Amino acid sequence: MSQTRTPATSGAGWQEADEPADGRRLTPAVPSEHTVVGGDWQELPNAVEDDLMVINMGPQHPSTHGVLRMLLTLDGETVLDNQAVIGYLHTGIEKNTEYRPWVQGVTFVTRMDYLSPLFNELGYCMAVEKLLDIADQVPERAQAIRVIVTELVRVASHLVWLATAGLELGSTTAMIFGFREREGILDVLEHVTGLRMNHAYIRPGGLAMDLPDDFSERVGTLLTAMKTRIDEFEVLLTTNPIWVERNSGVGVLSAEQCLDLGVTGPILRSAGIAHDLRKAHPYCGIEQYEFAIPTADTADAYGRFQVRVAEMRESLKIVRQAVDGLPTGPVMVADRKIAWPAQLGLGPDGIGNTEEYVGKIMGQSMEALIHHFKLVTEGFTVPEGQVYIPVESPRGELGYHVTSSGTNKPYRVKVRDPSFIHIGVLQAVTHGLSVSDVIAAVASLDPVMGGVDR
Amino acid sequence: MHGGEQAADIAGRELDVALPPHLRALATRLTAAFEMLQVSGFRHELTVLAPAGRIVELLTFCRDEPDLRCELLADLSGVHWPGGKRTESAQETTGWPSYEFADEAGRIEVDYVLYSLTHGHRFRVRVELPDDDPVMPTATGVYGAANFMEREVYDFFGVRFDGHPNLVRILMPDDWDGFPLRKDYPLGGVDVQYKGATIPPPDQRHY
Repeated sequence: MSQTRTPATSGAGWQEADEPADGRRLTPAVPSEHTVVGGDWQELPNAVEDDLMVINMGPQHPSTHGVLRMLLTLDGETVLDNQAVIGYLHTGIEKNTEYRPWVQGVTFVTRMDYLSPLFNELGYCMAVEKLLDIADQVPERAQAIRVIVTELVRVASHLVWLATAGLELGSTTAMIFGFREREGILDVLEHVTGLRMNHAYIRPGGLAMDLPDDFSERVGTLLTAMKTRIDEFEVLLTTNPIWVERNSGVGVLSAEQCLDLGVTGPILRSAGIAHDLRKAHPYCGIEQYEFAIPTADTADAYGRFQVRVAEMRESLKIVRQAVDGLPTGPVMVADRKIAWPAQLGLGPDGIGNTEEYVGKIMGQSMEALIHHFKLVTEGFTVPEGQVYIPVESPRGELGYHVTSSGTNKPYRVKVRDPSFIHIGVLQAVTHGLSVSDVIAAVASLDPVMGGVDR
Repeated sequence: MHGGEQAADIAGRELDVALPPHLRALATRLTAAFEMLQVSGFRHELTVLAPAGRIVELLTFCRDEPDLRCELLADLSGVHWPGGKRTESAQETTGWPSYEFADEAGRIEVDYVLYSLTHGHRFRVRVELPDDDPVMPTATGVYGAANFMEREVYDFFGVRFDGHPNLVRILMPDDWDGFPLRKDYPLGGVDVQYKGATIPPPDQRHY
């Protein structure tokens, strides 16, 4: 075996040692030439005529809020173009709802925007109620509880936003704080609904079950704690020079651009427009509670931070008022042809039908059993028609555009998810920024890919 | 119901009970400017049926007129109504509704939901297209938000928006066959286009 090698004349070619005839390699391939000047780096930009580079960011990049992929066209460090590539989390929820009875749709839609599941349930159920024309029959107590749980979810969602945005800009403290506080809220929601996420708690006609007895104490403790915790966030971030520097003037989207691109929610409010569907078109009796619509006039990522923090405080105010003035009564419509027939309760093995209810349908009343069976298996039929119900989710206008063909299954459920619309503004928001600012800008939009891709 | 028959039916409905006064006034305003519009109301929601050819003009009008001022294109969605006699097995819990298809062409509804922050009104503009060749002009020149929304409708229903800057699939993979939210596209029983496997339809699954 010869050890001689041909000297490389140019470039960083890999020279193979002479191989034996049977193909076994005896020595590892080694680089033929070592230089200290780094080869042809300078030729790389020169090779491309317009000096532009196309970089893939995502879909597995840790700062893209899930599986968002951005095709960045860069001139040096400056972003010239940003094409969002989405669909990695598309699960066909809209199609699936067409094959299940109306009530089961709740279980599907709650999985879309997984940071604000109760808003999805609320929008869907309000749409079904409007189609059934029973919106005014939903009991007051159910409406008030809907407000309480959705506003709690709004705080939890903003906390996740704060946590992830903080993490992406290097503030791990914000991340730890955010997820810690959110866990407190999820504990209360778990206590109420049985699940931390994907609750399926709001049902067409009312709620799955009433609040537990110790709810007001638990939520009272939570509200007191949350107030000081939000103060902690303010101490940590509001005047933090790094946070202010990284967010100010980044991701600017003027009010005109927002309206043209269909942007709503905190992003629109950070541009100075005090538009909130809870005020403009109140639902679930939310008009009886006092709260403000926080706005900012900077139209940048820092403004969105201010708006979201202020919104958390307003949501806590709403929850406090709603818990204090909680009406008594049923939590489901009186119409037995629509109301879910079960009586849920907490047993030794978790939430399920109460013993007396099971005893009644299994041992006493054949009619009750038939009724239960028919409603649970077939569901109710919904009159033909089409409605659009918007609710103010933590990210903006969440619309449910529901069509019924008069059967026991939805004909079409279209969800207008604010995250999907907001991904469409990436190009406008990130144009001219540096790559590191893209992260801050995308974080300020708060996209949730489960909602984007549905 | 198709085409003119459907339109006549919509026009024949009683608007007064279905719509609040401000939407009734809005309907009068719109029909005064565009006499070919057909107006209907359901559960206090106004729907305006417009011909595909005039949609850009109508949307521009709705956006720019001071007493309409629809700043926001809130939603854009599609609904597929297949042709022929449609029968649904309504009372089954799972499995899909069984449809009967005939030669008669179906239609695809494209619904624009417009919203005015200034006046607080919201209404729906509907365009009906034949489902064998759905083509209509793009609204991206009127509302920037229409860009992604139209791509979604194209992706799911195959509606081609003439003049759209980048009409490609958005949620489904680029090389996907068919338009999944059409009613003749099954939920399961299709080849999994990633790996060549097949998911059986729900009524044939065993687990």
